[in-house]
Amino acid sequence: MTERMPLIQTKTSISYKTEEKTVIRGYDLSELAEKGYTFCDVLFILFQGRIPTEVESRALSLEMGAFLEHSMSPSAAAAIAVATGRPDLPAAIAAGISTFGAVHGPGANHGLMLNTYLKRALEEGKSIDEIAKILVDEYLSSGRRIPGFGQPQHIDGDPRAEPLHILHEALGLAGVYYELQRAIEKYFKEKREKEGKKPVPVNVVGSGNTLLSDLGFSPLAAWCLGSICRGYSCAAHAIHHYKKGHAWAASRREPMVQMLDLSMIKYVGPADREVPSPEERQEYAKKQKEEGEYKKWVL
Amino acid sequence: MGSVKDLRHLLPPEYKNREYGTVPPDTTREPFRWVSEISYKNVHRIVARGYDTTELMMAGYGLVDVLFVVFQSRIPTIEEAKMLDYILIMALEDGLSSPAVISRIVAKSNAILTQAAAASVLAFGHTYGAFQDFGNMLNNYLSRAEKEGKTLEEIAEILVKEIPLDKILGVSDLCLKDPAPKRILRRAEDLGVAGKYIKFIKEIAKAAQKVGEKPIDVDMLGAIGATMMDLGFSPEATWGIIAVTRAFAAGAHYIEEVERGGFLKYGQTLTPKELYDGPSEKPVPPIEERNNIAKPAVCRTLEEWKKAITERQKLYGSGWKALASQLEENEEK
Repeated sequence: MTERMPLIQTKTSISYKTEEKTVIRGYDLSELAEKGYTFCDVLFILFQGRIPTEVESRALSLEMGAFLEHSMSPSAAAAIAVATGRPDLPAAIAAGISTFGAVHGPGANHGLMLNTYLKRALEEGKSIDEIAKILVDEYLSSGRRIPGFGQPQHIDGDPRAEPLHILHEALGLAGVYYELQRAIEKYFKEKREKEGKKPVPVNVVGSGNTLLSDLGFSPLAAWCLGSICRGYSCAAHAIHHYKKGHAWAASRREPMVQMLDLSMIKYVGPADREVPSPEERQEYAKKQKEEGEYKKWVL
Repeated sequence: MGSVKDLRHLLPPEYKNREYGTVPPDTTREPFRWVSEISYKNVHRIVARGYDTTELMMAGYGLVDVLFVVFQSRIPTIEEAKMLDYILIMALEDGLSSPAVISRIVAKSNAILTQAAAASVLAFGHTYGAFQDFGNMLNNYLSRAEKEGKTLEEIAEILVKEIPLDKILGVSDLCLKDPAPKRILRRAEDLGVAGKYIKFIKEIAKAAQKVGEKPIDVDMLGAIGATMMDLGFSPEATWGIIAVTRAFAAGAHYIEEVERGGFLKYGQTLTPKELYDGPSEKPVPPIEERNNIAKPAVCRTLEEWKKAITERQKLYGSGWKALASQLEENEEK
């Protein structure tokens, strides 16, 4: 028989696996598939340990379907860039997923913000509407960006955002998170208008994460659902490059200048200079350090 | 450091005269743009394979439908979507296997979720989760069958003769007690989406059972891989989709690790001496003696080279043992 010892010894409340079955949060995975549960149902089981209602599961599937593909964003660009070196496909996908950080994609910050202020509303005896106003005032007066607003490419409004809100409400799933998010949007818009500034519309993180929160997903789980879902798209963009692009992306035979063509480099660093000889090295290095000009280039 | 001489005089004579400076923009060709067959977006829309993704959502197309749109440029039939849904469930979780463990190890450093989940994708290599290799194997032999006029049964027997049993992807002793692979194949047949790939993996299992001494059958790699290909996904697409699907669960393993606590500090982890089987301990020689002790690796003759690489293979982690295996494999091929 093939050796099948566990790789690490640790407690887990997610799953176990025997020769006979894989059990996730108490349910036999194969039985779930056999009985007609969907992948999105099982994502609820994975992250929440519960079977969702049909409507909840449908909402998750639609949200993820809409979030999955976003053409050229940092994630797709990273996957393609990695694919130019022709490592195995998983490296390109991993690079794409890894771009989801503080700015790109549905970080956990938005969910953390909603939960923080809902907790405060409860503790301070405020209504959701009141706490939304406080949130907007506090974020703006301290110079912080309110997560979930604005998109650098869709400058007139993220095309997925408002429809997701509409869907959220139409499916009868609007709860405290929806109420808070909508109130934040209202006060943020009012504030911007008072200051004579153009309103910054909600983005897919603002509306998508709000839906995921009302579906019972924690900020971390919601972040996982969004960023991993985009991994599918990264795989597609990378495969497209593997199959139809040029490795290295610098070919001069292509009618279009390639991503890594030499002419794509714009250098703005220190001027060209002589490499010091080994004999001069110590004196040169000391002088360079004393003069300190290098400091403006230090990263 | 002090012994390194200035060797610039060995550069080609014209090297000194080579130009500095960046290359000016190439105006003779079309400027660079991201070329994609998959999607585009403008200020107001995101369009995948011609379909507006927001409209897909509002029209009721969900995750599995969009996967068909992105990877195959088509809306799937209801049966195909159901089958993919079934497969994604089966691919989601596998207990504490490599992707989950990698994610947990990354979590131990208190890295962010996306790094841990992304790292889990790297677990999908050429044995674990080898869906690309599996698909290519099927395609190669099916193509041979077509060229040589062989039946599926005949080409399966050839495959089993040509590839050592323990190297055939998709059949193994891993799921002899687990009904999951058989259920996947049966569901594909019931939904009417089973095709030549499912037929072929079954034939491969039959052929392997005839020649093998130990019980063997279609495993999860074989069942998922063959069904995905009957659904029209390429080996690469299958590899990517299954690896990403597992990353959702890897994210949950990350979260559990974070919630249970116990982050590691740099330098904290010890490796017990009992686990060490490398060269025996010895004193570090004085630096002045290094050139008396150290021998350059350079080999001047083929005989010297052969002797050297044989010696080098004794050290795990040097890469020379791996090279020897690769060379042996190449010879077998």
